[in-house]
Amino acid sequence: MSGKEFFLNRYQQLGWKYRDVKLRQAIRINTSNVKGKNLVGRLETLGVHLQKIPFLITGYWVADSKVSAGATAEYLLGLYSIQEAAAQISASLFSDLKNKKVLDATAAPGGKTTQMADLMQNTGAIVALDVDKRRLNALSNHLERCHVSNTVVYLLDARQAHNLNVKFDRVLLDAPCSGNFASDKDWFKNRTLKDIERNAALQNELLKKTSECLSDEGELVYSTCSLEPEENELNMDWAIKNLDFEIQEVNCIGDNGLTNVFGKQLDPSVARCKRLWPDQTQGFFVCKLKKGSK
Amino acid sequence: MKAKVITNFAAQFGLQVALNPELVMEKNGRFYLVNEGLKPLVRHDFFYAGVFLGKAKEGKFFPSFNLLSMLAKQGANRVVVDRKSAWLFICGRDVLTKSVLQILGSGKKNTNTLVLNEFGECLGFGRIVGRLNGEVQSDEIAVRNVSDVGDFLRRERY
Repeated sequence: MSGKEFFLNRYQQLGWKYRDVKLRQAIRINTSNVKGKNLVGRLETLGVHLQKIPFLITGYWVADSKVSAGATAEYLLGLYSIQEAAAQISASLFSDLKNKKVLDATAAPGGKTTQMADLMQNTGAIVALDVDKRRLNALSNHLERCHVSNTVVYLLDARQAHNLNVKFDRVLLDAPCSGNFASDKDWFKNRTLKDIERNAALQNELLKKTSECLSDEGELVYSTCSLEPEENELNMDWAIKNLDFEIQEVNCIGDNGLTNVFGKQLDPSVARCKRLWPDQTQGFFVCKLKKGSK
Repeated sequence: MKAKVITNFAAQFGLQVALNPELVMEKNGRFYLVNEGLKPLVRHDFFYAGVFLGKAKEGKFFPSFNLLSMLAKQGANRVVVDRKSAWLFICGRDVLTKSVLQILGSGKKNTNTLVLNEFGECLGFGRIVGRLNGEVQSDEIAVRNVSDVGDFLRRERY
C-alpha cells in the first residue's frame, strides 16, 4: 500500500484535498545574540529581505535575497538560524523554559535545541540526545555557532534516557517520522504504509520511555513532520490512555487534531492537538502533553 | 592542567583569565567550560557540554569561536576592521592595513590579535605581520588570517 494515489485518497478521507505547495525559506532570530530589529536592518543592507511570520515571535520568511541566507556573517555569528516555519512551533509551546531541566530526546541536527536554549536565555540545562554521530557533529557546530552554553549532548538512544537518572521538567520529543511530500519531492515514491507503521511503533516506544524521565506535572511536547494519523493522533490517543498524560490546549496555527481516524473514534481531547496540512508551511503535527501526579 | 591550556592561549592576546579548573572538562582533546548548574548532568561519556573552548591536537591548541568571543569581551588585543575587510576575512583572506579602523591593545608585530567587525563581533583571529595603522594606501597585509568563522561553512563541506 503505497503510491501517490493511495496517500492522496487517505488525506481526502481525513478531510484534506491535495494541492501542490512551494515552501519558503524561514529564519529564526537568536535573541540571546542580537536584537530582532537590528538584525532585520542588517540583513536588509545585504539584500536579504524578510517578512515577519505572523504566527511566530522570532520567525521571518526570506521574501527574497541576493545572497544565500546560510552564508552571511550574521548567520555564521549565530545571530539567526535557518529553520522551517512549522518546525519553530514545537519549542515555543512550553509554558515556561527558563531555569528548567529539559530533555531534547531526538535532538540532531539541533534547530530546536538552539531555539530552546535561546528561549531559556541559556539558563537551566538541556540534555540533548541522538543516535547518529554524524548528526551530532552538526548539532555541536550549531551549538557553538549560536553560543549556546546550557546544553550537554550524548550519543544515546532516547529509549535509554532513563539511564541518565534525571527527572526533567520538560521533554521535547520531535520524533523521527516518515516526513511529508512538501519537504521531500520523492516522498510518494519512497513511502509505504509499512514504513509509517514501523515509525509509529518507534514513536510509541519513545513516548513511553521519555515519559518515564518526566517529572510529575511536567510537560512533553510531541511533534512530527508527518501527515499520517498513525504517527500523530493515534499515538496521542494511546499516550493519554496509557501514560498518565492529558493533552493541553495550545495557541498556535493549524487545524484541530482528528478525533475520527478512518472510522476509529479517539478521545475528544485529541482535538487539542494541532495538525498543519501543507500550505504556508510544510506538513506538521504538534501536541502538548502534561503529566499527571499519579 | 586543563585550564592551563586555555589560560596560556589567552595570554597570547595579552589577557590573564581565571578559569575554575573544576568547571573545565576535557574529552578526546576537546575542552569545554560548564557552569555549576550543568555540571551534575555531565557524565564521563558526554559528546559536547556547555561552552566548547577548543581542541588540542599534536601539541597545538585550536580555539573555538566561543572562546575567541569570550576573550574579545574580556579585553584581549583586537583590531576592528571595515565592512569589506570583515567579509573578506571570514572568506579566509588577510586584513590589509588600510582596512583597520581601530586598534585595541598592544598591536605589536608578531603577536596574535582578534579581528572584530564594526559591530564589535569577533570574526576570528590572526597574526600581526605588518603595520596596523598609518597612511598606507597600498595593499600591505597587516593581519594574517589564522582562523575565522567562515570555518562553520567549511566544516559542512567536508
